Amino acid sequence: MAQGNLLDLTIIEAAAQLEGRRLSPVELTEAMLQRIASVDKQIRAYITVCDAQAREVARAAERMIQAGYYLGPLHGIPVALKDNIYTRDVRTTAGSKILADFVPAEDATVAARLKRAGAIIIGKTNMHEFAWGGTTDNPHHGTCRNPWNPERFPAGSSGGSGAAVAARTCLGALGTDTGGSIRLPSSVNGIVGIRPTIGRVSNYNVVPLAWTMDTVSPMTRTVEDCVVMFEIIAGYDPFDDHSAQVPLADYRAELARPVRGLRVGLIRDYSLSHLQKAVGDAVRGALKTLEGLGAQVEEIAMPSIHGNISAQLTIESCEPSAYHQEWLRTRAADYGEDVRTLLESGEMYLATHYIQAQRYRSLLRKEFLEGFKRVDVFVTPTLPFTATPCGATEVVIEGNRKEDMLSAIMQFTGVPSLAGLPALSLPVGFDPDGLPVGMQVIGRPFDEGLLFGVGHAYQRVTDWHTRSPRL
Amino acid sequence: MKSDDPVTRETVERLCALADLPLAPERRARLVPMLSGLIAAANELNRKMAAAAYRSILPILRFPER
Repeated sequence: MAQGNLLDLTIIEAAAQLEGRRLSPVELTEAMLQRIASVDKQIRAYITVCDAQAREVARAAERMIQAGYYLGPLHGIPVALKDNIYTRDVRTTAGSKILADFVPAEDATVAARLKRAGAIIIGKTNMHEFAWGGTTDNPHHGTCRNPWNPERFPAGSSGGSGAAVAARTCLGALGTDTGGSIRLPSSVNGIVGIRPTIGRVSNYNVVPLAWTMDTVSPMTRTVEDCVVMFEIIAGYDPFDDHSAQVPLADYRAELARPVRGLRVGLIRDYSLSHLQKAVGDAVRGALKTLEGLGAQVEEIAMPSIHGNISAQLTIESCEPSAYHQEWLRTRAADYGEDVRTLLESGEMYLATHYIQAQRYRSLLRKEFLEGFKRVDVFVTPTLPFTATPCGATEVVIEGNRKEDMLSAIMQFTGVPSLAGLPALSLPVGFDPDGLPVGMQVIGRPFDEGLLFGVGHAYQRVTDWHTRSPRL
Repeated sequence: MKSDDPVTRETVERLCALADLPLAPERRARLVPMLSGLIAAANELNRKMAAAAYRSILPILRFPER
């Protein structure tokens, strides 16, 4: 098969060919490594490319499949992991200088589960330093760029994973999401990403950002591919104290769930407020598409929705500053300037600020659970603007008013993070400059299956997810 | 800096002393405008959550399995 065709394969398509022995894992891995070699000097999606190890695993997978030992739809599939996820014998920097030489002795649970399913770890992706930021403008490992326009940012903090998938240098990737770090890069890179319910996917051996909000999950080109990775990594892990013992759904069966009769909620004065016009137009178009499939849209009031950004900033400031307390006193100069400043500021909050922010989460969650008596999912844009220029620290959303990037970027994604709810981001259009727009679908606790069903139904009747950046 | 900003150079200096975080004067100075906005917003959330209507609300540190 020609290399161009290989690059466009989804996980589902590649798996069918690998299982049928019409494609070799070696051939597929070589195509990805060649693609990395040709585009990644520009995009900087990878911190470490595991070329020798990936080739070795690909040859082993080829032998197993030839011998009739096919492990399932991830067997022989090249995937990438964000560089805060431990990989045994492969350095895990968390995008930092401080951990530049850290080589874990064991895998994260999610990495081990992917390996057991036969996935090939092709590399470790670039990220905002220690995941504390939303741009992936990394002072130690290079500025990651958006494949749709390398002058624009890939968002973050899992910007490398988002850019790697969009640039066709892997078939899927894992990211981590605290306040939006999977969904934001999924949106601006035109791919699919899900933040799971807290406790659904293990955080064991993942460098933390904020313990009470951190999650790990897949980023892929299609919802179907997201399910293939999610069903492998999800589920109880005794090594993770926050892991939930809640039964998993049959996520592939959930893909067939009909949208007819689905009740979609818009949060009054919030879901479609304070947006760039192109973002609002694309999300309204997606809602029309869902209505065409039989969904009903209604507005729901949520009196406590405003206040979310302050609560998120407070928790995301205090918890990382606790984790980094020793390094901030012994290796401060080894942090990038933005992260160092955020860590310093996180030590200046009062205990009451932190506790009231955690109480606000309970209040917000109660209002969502009340809202879920009337609707099945809530919809918002994933972020209120499309990809901004690399290096920008401010953004214009409406009029000529410049806003601080860190606050603006978490306008929508912080809400499910605080409330502990799952949320899927999927591509729903492009702005006039050809930059992707994403929509966020928020579900009940542990109901990731419904989000996959809604996303898949949408992707069956639209083609945004089939478009490729020109690189 | 506005007169009603909750954070000044002096308050940052005191907070650094309380946190046992020795920062150079120029680093303390650059925290002031950023912290003013963050702490003003956090104080507003404090006032909301301290209201009688919310006294029964507990903090979330771990999510229920439901």
